[in-house]
Amino acid sequence: MSPEVVQTIIDDLGALLLFTMILILAAGQIYRAIYAVATQSFLIAVAGAVLATATGNPDLWVIAGVTLTVKTMVLPFVLHRVVQRLNVRREVEPVIPVGATLAIAVVVVVMSFQLSATLGSVHQAITGNALPVGISLTLLGVLVMATGQTALTQMVGLFASENGIFFTAMAVTQGMPLIIEIGVILDVILAALVMAIMVLRVRSTVDADIADLDELRG
Amino acid sequence: MTQPIAETLLWALPLVPVVTALLMLTTSDRRILSAIDLAGSATLLALALVLADDVAAHGPRALGVLRIDDLGLVFLLLLALLTMAVSIYTVGWLKQAVALGNMRAEPRYLRSYFALVHLFVATMVVTVLADNLGVLWIAMEGTTITSAVLVGYHGHHHGLEAAWKYIIVTTIGISFGLFGTVLVYAAAAQGGATGMGWSEIMSVAPKLDPGIVRIGFIFVVVGYGTKAGLAPMHLWLPDAHSQAPTPVSALLSGVLIKCALLGIIRFQTIAAAACGTAFPAQVLLVFGLVSVVVATPFILTQHDLKRLLGYHSVEHVGIVALGLGFGGSIGTYGALLHVINHGVTKALAFFAAGTAIARFGSRDMTIIRGLFGVAPIGATLLMLAALSLAGVPPFSIFVSELLVLRAGIGGAHWVAIAIFLAMVVIIFAGLLHHAGGMVFGKPAAEVARGREAWSPLFGMMLLAAIMILLGLTIPASFDGLLRRAAEIIVG
Repeated sequence: MSPEVVQTIIDDLGALLLFTMILILAAGQIYRAIYAVATQSFLIAVAGAVLATATGNPDLWVIAGVTLTVKTMVLPFVLHRVVQRLNVRREVEPVIPVGATLAIAVVVVVMSFQLSATLGSVHQAITGNALPVGISLTLLGVLVMATGQTALTQMVGLFASENGIFFTAMAVTQGMPLIIEIGVILDVILAALVMAIMVLRVRSTVDADIADLDELRG
Repeated sequence: MTQPIAETLLWALPLVPVVTALLMLTTSDRRILSAIDLAGSATLLALALVLADDVAAHGPRALGVLRIDDLGLVFLLLLALLTMAVSIYTVGWLKQAVALGNMRAEPRYLRSYFALVHLFVATMVVTVLADNLGVLWIAMEGTTITSAVLVGYHGHHHGLEAAWKYIIVTTIGISFGLFGTVLVYAAAAQGGATGMGWSEIMSVAPKLDPGIVRIGFIFVVVGYGTKAGLAPMHLWLPDAHSQAPTPVSALLSGVLIKCALLGIIRFQTIAAAACGTAFPAQVLLVFGLVSVVVATPFILTQHDLKRLLGYHSVEHVGIVALGLGFGGSIGTYGALLHVINHGVTKALAFFAAGTAIARFGSRDMTIIRGLFGVAPIGATLLMLAALSLAGVPPFSIFVSELLVLRAGIGGAHWVAIAIFLAMVVIIFAGLLHHAGGMVFGKPAAEVARGREAWSPLFGMMLLAAIMILLGLTIPASFDGLLRRAAEIIVG
């Protein structure tokens, strides 16, 4: 594949990633948010495969494979199970109205592109528009965590945020060393498991969403 | 010493706490668990001292993704020392906590508690020894996962609330840290580095693109700064420090937030080489000042003893950041000395506070009164810790604060100095007011007047001795270590 083709594909994938991010931000139900973040992770895996074909770097194949199994299958499955165990089908009630959240999201995306445009020479090291997309995804993931009221939306936001970092890391010319990427993914799995256990523990002891507890102040 | 032994030590050091953790799983007797705990920590301390000796004689050592230099050594020694003190303290603390019902006595709970503490220590050892910036991040996230479980260990819903806030806030924060790491790595890859090693990136650092390193550094400071407890990213800190079991609080405040500072320092050196020293110094100065200012009102109005100490950590991390921001060899030396001094003193303060809290059955400082009448040794140690934290001479923190101040005056940062001094004076008055009431007030009638347990006292006296020693004089070998470490940062 020629560099131009790769760049076009990565840019298209970046657009799709931003689209899934908007789905997560606007998701009324937790199930939709989980499916959206799984789709987003799938797109990251595709991006990994594309870059692996283009650069001939076998490590990127491994990373794409691990992303596919862990982030598009295992983690959404864990989230799904937690939702079933909690038996919450209630609507996700956002702190800020969805319209306002989306407006903030637009501002974040525009600012990310603005910021990246000031860094001319960096474009040699990072493929296409991966940098502004990566920054946007990372910041918007944090926005999801800040506005989502339930523990599960906060977890979804966290995974979306990590996706943004992975996308940028892949687009860095050689990709991060394989062992590091694997270690990062392992950390994410462990953190997700610990969080899931905490959510279930609180539900079984005080029958509340862990994110709703707010007795510690001052 | 020959080369192979030093390199063996590099990979053996993280393994010691891991093996200790595994050994914990073989038994369920509280006495044997404590014995393994003590043995594991003593081994770690001994190996750290041997490594220190070797590095002093032969310079930095590297093995794969791990590397030890004088800078890492400062943090490694603090880590090993506090782990030892925590183990000594835990013997008596655990007996009491089980008796009071604060810790569940079932063998499997005790067993996994000890195992988790040592895994937590192992992840911190890796953060200190990591040369590869990716490994640094992985280990840092590892510390979050292991310690989050420990923060919620009491199983009370306040503990779980604190643990949740801790894991969510620090994981978001540290995602920023990873993003910053990726950006710096992108710049380094462009600049000709083939790996993510700090020493390798440092060798090409002057050639890196300043624009991208600048953005990367800000992401890293926000990311690792969250973990270090720099305001305004400190939201998790008072909750986690107050809800965790006391030995864990001491490790969080004494060591963990210092490990995050080491991460920031590593990137500071890269940023200083790529875009000049002024930029990273300015960033650290701002975060340091904000931390000191934000902590002050919370310290004054606080009723919860452990939260007070938590906010106090925010102030002191701010002072370290100020020292690094003022820069120069004096400021950097002062900042590193402050890392050690605050680590030792704060661990002592948490120990003394934990003992007082167990005696009064409350963390409320209006209930803890007249400690001197019921537990004179513990009360004296608490008072000593409070005096040192407040910055009273001749205790160690006074010395390092003075050095930071001198660096600020030398660099003519008058506004920063004025704010810093004002806050330190206010905190001085507030802290002594709180401590005086707890130690000398009138005790309530129903306070337990039992004998003071020996092992917590011994652990505290060990730290108090070091605290007083470092206030009076800095041993030549330690002074040399700090000088060489400061040189690595200043360049």
